[in-house]
Amino acid sequence: MTLIEDLKRIEGEALARIAQTEDLASLDAARVEFLGKKGSLTGVLRGLGALSTEERPAVGKVSNEVRQAIEAAIEERKAMLAQAELAERMSAGAVDVTLPGRKRLPGRAHLISQITAEVVDIFAGLGYQVAEGPEVELAHYNFTALNHPPTHPARAATDTFYVSDAGGSGREGDPESDVLLRTHTSPVQVRVLEQQKPPVYVIVPGRVYRRDIADPSHLPQFHQIEGLAVEEGITFGDLKGTLDHVCRELFGRDRKTRFRPHFFPFTEPSAEVDVSCGICVGSGCRFCKNTGWLEILGCGMVDPNVFGYVDIDPERHVGFAFGMGVERIAALRYDIPDLRMLVEGDMRFLRQF
Amino acid sequence: MLVSMKWLKELVDVTLTVEELVDRLDMTGTAVEGVRSVGEGLSGVVVGAVLEKAPHPDADALSYCTVDVGAAELLKIVCGATNFGAGDKVPVACVGAELPGGLVIKRAKLRGLTSEGMMCSAPELGLGGDASGLLVLPADAPLGVPYAEYAGRADTVIELEVTPNRPDCLSMVGVAREVAAITGKSARPVEIEVSESPEPIESAVSVEIDDPALCPRYTARLITGVRIGPSPEWLADRVTAAGARSVNNIVDITNYVMFELGQPLHAFDAATITRRDDVAAITVRTTREGETLTTLDGQTRTLTSDMLVIADDGGPIALAGVMGGEHTEVSDATVDIVLESACFDAASISTTSRSLGLISEASTRFERGVDPSGCVAALDRAAELMRTLASGTVAAGVVDVYPAPRAERTLTLRPGRLNKVLGTDISAEECATILGSLGLSATSDSPHELTVTVPTYRPDLEREIDLVEEVVRIWGMERVPATLPSGPGRIGRLTGEQRWMRRIDETMRAAGLNETMTYSFVDPSDRERSDTAPPEGETPVWLANPMSEEQAVMRWSLLPGLLRSVSYNQRRGVPDVHLYEIGAIYGAVDGAVLPRERTMVGGVLAGSWSRPGWNAPAAPLDLFDGKGVIEALAIDLGIERMSVRAADLPWLQPGRSAEVLVNGRPAGWLGEVHPLVAERYEADAPVVAFELDTSALIGSARTVKPYREVPRVPAVTLDLALVVDDAVTAERVEQAIRKAGGKLLDEVRLFDVYRGSGIPEGKKSLAWALSYRAEDRTLSDEEVRPVHEKLIRKVSGSVGAEVRG
Ligand SMILES: [Zn+2]
Repeated sequence: MTLIEDLKRIEGEALARIAQTEDLASLDAARVEFLGKKGSLTGVLRGLGALSTEERPAVGKVSNEVRQAIEAAIEERKAMLAQAELAERMSAGAVDVTLPGRKRLPGRAHLISQITAEVVDIFAGLGYQVAEGPEVELAHYNFTALNHPPTHPARAATDTFYVSDAGGSGREGDPESDVLLRTHTSPVQVRVLEQQKPPVYVIVPGRVYRRDIADPSHLPQFHQIEGLAVEEGITFGDLKGTLDHVCRELFGRDRKTRFRPHFFPFTEPSAEVDVSCGICVGSGCRFCKNTGWLEILGCGMVDPNVFGYVDIDPERHVGFAFGMGVERIAALRYDIPDLRMLVEGDMRFLRQF
Repeated sequence: MLVSMKWLKELVDVTLTVEELVDRLDMTGTAVEGVRSVGEGLSGVVVGAVLEKAPHPDADALSYCTVDVGAAELLKIVCGATNFGAGDKVPVACVGAELPGGLVIKRAKLRGLTSEGMMCSAPELGLGGDASGLLVLPADAPLGVPYAEYAGRADTVIELEVTPNRPDCLSMVGVAREVAAITGKSARPVEIEVSESPEPIESAVSVEIDDPALCPRYTARLITGVRIGPSPEWLADRVTAAGARSVNNIVDITNYVMFELGQPLHAFDAATITRRDDVAAITVRTTREGETLTTLDGQTRTLTSDMLVIADDGGPIALAGVMGGEHTEVSDATVDIVLESACFDAASISTTSRSLGLISEASTRFERGVDPSGCVAALDRAAELMRTLASGTVAAGVVDVYPAPRAERTLTLRPGRLNKVLGTDISAEECATILGSLGLSATSDSPHELTVTVPTYRPDLEREIDLVEEVVRIWGMERVPATLPSGPGRIGRLTGEQRWMRRIDETMRAAGLNETMTYSFVDPSDRERSDTAPPEGETPVWLANPMSEEQAVMRWSLLPGLLRSVSYNQRRGVPDVHLYEIGAIYGAVDGAVLPRERTMVGGVLAGSWSRPGWNAPAAPLDLFDGKGVIEALAIDLGIERMSVRAADLPWLQPGRSAEVLVNGRPAGWLGEVHPLVAERYEADAPVVAFELDTSALIGSARTVKPYREVPRVPAVTLDLALVVDDAVTAERVEQAIRKAGGKLLDEVRLFDVYRGSGIPEGKKSLAWALSYRAEDRTLSDEEVRPVHEKLIRKVSGSVGAEVRG
């Protein structure tokens, strides 16, 4: 038996053993057995010293080849076993991906806030700023300066909430300084025009109050969005164009508007605006009470008398104003059966929108 | 205003269909609220002849009739009326007919006898007339013909919503004028003539007006020898269609003329007016202290001094323009009538009507303004009808007190101005034509101006802009081209404060809270119930006229409303509640007319963030979930110093109650709602709640945050557990650590709080992870160790801590 034969035999044994290993540990054991310090290949090579110088190169060459072959086999086997083990680990880690996720949901904005923000953003795009005013207001701003005569029915205590004079400020008997809960956002028109000279482009969202018993279609408190534009050269046509644009943005590109003349004390000419019914597309249905139209807002050209109260020359400046009910828009867009749901705070309702 | 189409067609040619007319009215400013048919839909009601009328064997009040309706079979009908006999023709509702009241006629047994239909009275057919007996028809009425076809009484009534500026449209002639204008026709005037007797009225009736400001005009006529009786069919139909009940010929005539001409009339029984020198002396004056009046509805009313009355020497006999008095009412025994046609001040009538809660057809018209020029025409119209329909004699002349006759107004319309306001190009001629169609006369002296004369029945047309509106509504708003404002100088942007408000909103939602809106009103008892109070120096804002005691005061805190919502959810099986509200609270301040309004952000948390999941337990929410929301808010708004301080707030559970400070100043509160407060709102504790003043938050919010170096070298992190007295707060320990740590100490994170085994009673262990970091180099253990040990010594000294284990 020559050394070379020994080496060949060891190679054969090693390759067979390596091929049989089934995990990294036994592969390592095989490596030690054949290539380790006390391994069989090493043992054979110890006998190298006994060889003649002529024989050595040939045996050395073979032994190197054998070592390389074993090492290569080990590496190959190692890669294979590692892959198998990874595959096994992954297979053990497989999950049912249809199980629900781990989530912490963000909260939702109230429907009224969502619509308000939407309308405000539309008008911001048209160059309007947002103005605000007090909810508890003077009769002067809520009625008088908006051209409501002293006997106007809306002033009646049956319609408007008045505030008791607890502070003893001596208001009693002076209807001008009566304090009330504003019945519309329109008083902010007057406050803005007192503060700011034209050009004025403002949008006024806010809470308003009327003495209505809460029922599916009424609430004693609700929300309006008022708009006011005053500048030289403004026309009724501009009012139409503006509201056309807004209604399409709010309700959809394909919706139409129509302006019906109406009466409001603080605008003239005045109009009510209808938007075409989105359900029947104008042919008439239960939703639009068979008219094909849904009333959506009131508007008009600022009455010269209102300008008189804020010292603006009505010959020079023209303005338009409009107001819309946010609850009304909500009810129309979402077909909400009962407006009282908007103030109950039911999580199941609030999380829907 | 109810408008009978039959009546309208007598006053103006209507070539449009009802549907087209309704649409045209809608688009020119007169909204149509409804359309309804009368005397129609009477299918199954035919003219019948009573052949036999026998008493009902078992009921004295009923008769058993054999009726011929022109069909093969004769009908047997049980009837309760008595005003007819065999041979009479009457309307018969056969089996299957549906009457206007919704009654469907069926074969029915009445006291043992089968009735195969019903013989009808006029009201049963939705018509005006006597309800006490059958509507007996003329003998020549054709047998078996549908009643509606025979009588020609079918009509369509449209209901108009008349805006407050259009008193003229509260009359048929006014509506006819409007319809003429919007359809390009012309209205036919009502011909009014009256035949008088030679006897002059002056010898029988006198009128005085105390204050012409409250009663600009009062006219009266005397009609003697009237015979009170039922109205003819046409008159009854007209007043019924207009919404009144047919009473008798005199009352119906006054109503008819009011509906026709818009002038309310009142008929006094002349005999009941106190005489002065044999003359029925009428005074129009305000009430004297303590006077009362029993009105037509039988109620005795105490009058206040600002009310206008019609009085004789014995006292008030009518509430001017609102309702007549019972004592002077026309009765079956009335012979002579004093007929009033007057004009009263709109504001005065509206005040009286409202303060007495009495709203009548008359007061509605006076409140909006009645044309004083029309008083006499209405008087003549009614007097003549009383002569022809009630056999009266009209005394010669009219008592007419009209101290300051109202003149027609003259206005100037500049077509150029009109087009500038509207954005149109309407010619002066077109303007003149439109105004002319409305009964205004427009003449032009220059190409730039029209001089417009306004009849007195249009008191709403006072200024040029009023004429602009008239022109555009008839010309057609739909024809005005839609444009956008083209002026310069518009910047659409939210203010800084408004943008911060949106940010607060967004952060609340990102933290998992859902926005809600509660009532601005609260119950006064919420004060005790929630144990909350308005801020120092403020008192609640009370409503003088709340809808109910439960909504009598404006909220001073968002908490009561939010607690109601917590309870609302829990009671409906929704245990996890995460709500926030951004809204105003209100507080009256001494010396200020308007209360202070503060925008608050409030939140409530109850239950867990979610129900237990397969991989996520449901941890019950507590104070620290609320605090986490607030901390997120501070970070998001860039508030440098937000802190909380234990405070005993009565609505919060002691020991879980804190004030929130922003830069050292109070900005609100946070805690768990006191279990007793929660219980009073039927909410299940624990309920975490907070309320912060948004202006305090926004005042300390930072738009621009300074850049800080992002760490480029790793930190050395050492843990440190300190045992301190229970009373020592985490905040104090943290401050001591930060103070002692020097420049190298970067992050301080509390990761455990422990009490129990191994820790003495009354103490707790706080475990901290301390990160040391230098900006420019990686620190070695040797460098950190002495700093850390120095920190331990200092902190132990300042807060009395011992290092654990
Ligand atoms: Zn529809």
